[in-house]
Amino acid sequence: MGVRASCRRAASVPVYSLRQLARGWCDSISMKRSDFPQLGFGVGLRPPHYAEILESRPPMDWFEVISENFLVAGGRPLEVLDSVRVDYPIAMHGVSLSIGTTDPLNRSYLSELRTLAQRVEPAWISDHLCWTGVGGRNLHDLMPLPHTEEAIMHTARRIREVQEILERPILIENVSSYLTYSHSRLTEWEFLTAIAAEADCGILLDINNIFVNAFNHRFDPRRYIDAMPPDRVIQFHLAGHADHGTYLLDTHDHPIRPEVWDLYEYAVRRLGAVSTLIEWDDNIPEFAVLSAAAAEARDRETRAVSANCDTAKTLSLSDGTLRGACR
Amino acid sequence: MSADAVDLKHLQQFLYRLITVPGGVAEGLAQEVAITGGGLDQLVISDDRMSPVERVEVYANGYFYRLLEVLKEDYPATLAVAGDDHFHNLATGYLIDYPPTQPSIHFAGLNFAAYLATHPLRARWPFIADLARLERATLESFHAAGAPALHAEALRALSPTEWPALTIRLHPATRLIESEWRIDTVLREVEDGRAWTDPERDDATILVWRRDNHVYYRATEAAEREALGLANDENGVPFAAICESIASAADKNDDAAALINRLLARWLLDGLLLRTAE
Repeated sequence: MGVRASCRRAASVPVYSLRQLARGWCDSISMKRSDFPQLGFGVGLRPPHYAEILESRPPMDWFEVISENFLVAGGRPLEVLDSVRVDYPIAMHGVSLSIGTTDPLNRSYLSELRTLAQRVEPAWISDHLCWTGVGGRNLHDLMPLPHTEEAIMHTARRIREVQEILERPILIENVSSYLTYSHSRLTEWEFLTAIAAEADCGILLDINNIFVNAFNHRFDPRRYIDAMPPDRVIQFHLAGHADHGTYLLDTHDHPIRPEVWDLYEYAVRRLGAVSTLIEWDDNIPEFAVLSAAAAEARDRETRAVSANCDTAKTLSLSDGTLRGACR
Repeated sequence: MSADAVDLKHLQQFLYRLITVPGGVAEGLAQEVAITGGGLDQLVISDDRMSPVERVEVYANGYFYRLLEVLKEDYPATLAVAGDDHFHNLATGYLIDYPPTQPSIHFAGLNFAAYLATHPLRARWPFIADLARLERATLESFHAAGAPALHAEALRALSPTEWPALTIRLHPATRLIESEWRIDTVLREVEDGRAWTDPERDDATILVWRRDNHVYYRATEAAEREALGLANDENGVPFAAICESIASAADKNDDAAALINRLLARWLLDGLLLRTAE
């Protein structure tokens, strides 16, 4: 999949046109969801499950790996990855791209990532819309960006560079956040869609992160999903979070909450059937628990798509989103 | 720092400082008073549930405790020796002196042994830096590059005329740790779930290696120490030099040839050696 030039504009964009951009004003979408495989329902490939997966080759549509765990010279992790790749599609999901930092792109890291991608031949590569460090130092956290013109242009330019280096479009994921900046000029969903349009990249939409942020920053999570351009949303993430009373913390160590499941169904109804992955990174349970969560995602997607089909038939709609989901 | 004046670079640098200051966000903010005017209100939105400082503290706590957990996972024996409270303080000091710089969090603890080597707590546990070095070596061995090890069959298949030209070196997953203490005994006790005991003071070379994706370690015998050191050269060393080293290290009462055979057989079985390209 090649990277086509996205629509370019002058470095300075007034706020009114930022909003237009966020609404797809210049979204000359050269990438489409149909450019990517529909992988179905997967789980993260994590060390506690290596032995079981290698021995029993359990039924699972696909696996997602944390890229950094395999940016090593050799040893068991890479051997496991090679073996799993024989039988399953794999997507590479990074945590260290730091696409929003004001430091230069880390070309050594990108070179390693490219080498790993050549080995794995992933369905796609994703990372987060955030910054993880500055001044050559790393916080190892997914820090939110201000929703400003400066951040849009800066981040989109870097995504385009990364896509050129990796020779493929990447997906950027919305992150959980615990603060927002007073000088932000756009909502989070406007910011995300503006960057995706400007960079011509895909979106990995984390449903749990939307729910967490909706609580932490008081917005309606359905408005977020309503604003997503269906053709750019290539993957969903589902995960658990912890309730700290005054805020929700994205911990990936709990079962998915019922409210997040409901929001997932809403996202499927709005955006159609999208490759979905269950994330669980701490207090990792038996593989069967993750399999059950993937199965529940499948059931809920079926239910949501079915509801869309019924609605489309009743209203005799030809709406693209509804029709697309009705497969 | 006024919201209108802040650019992305200065915002990131400012937040980085607040998040990583050991005393907490409020202390960090006090140091930034010339920039902020003493508050975060102009930069971070608050509500009736959380102040701006509390919101930044979520990240500050996440930073420290995430890296503390990484250090605990990477250095379980060092943790057992130091205990939770000392280890917490060691992690705090370490992150000040060696803040993470690599994209992968796997490297966050890379310099922990170097930090311990000059730490005052070494007076209480003089072996603690070496113990951390051994633990790091086991991690490095686990992730080291693979390479086809030299096996006994391959060696036997060589004609005697080929032996002088044969050069060998240690496998990339092999490490040699020099110490004045039998730190391997402490690591073994902790791995076995036993209470650790003070290690014997004894010049030791601990060999760390990987076989079939499992990492092993043991104290070397006196007769093999120098020879393994010779082979720890990526350019390789003549096979004859290895044999001569073992023979010269043999005790007068040892049968040198038998000793060479025994040690070589063990090394080959454990996959310690590679044949270098001629």
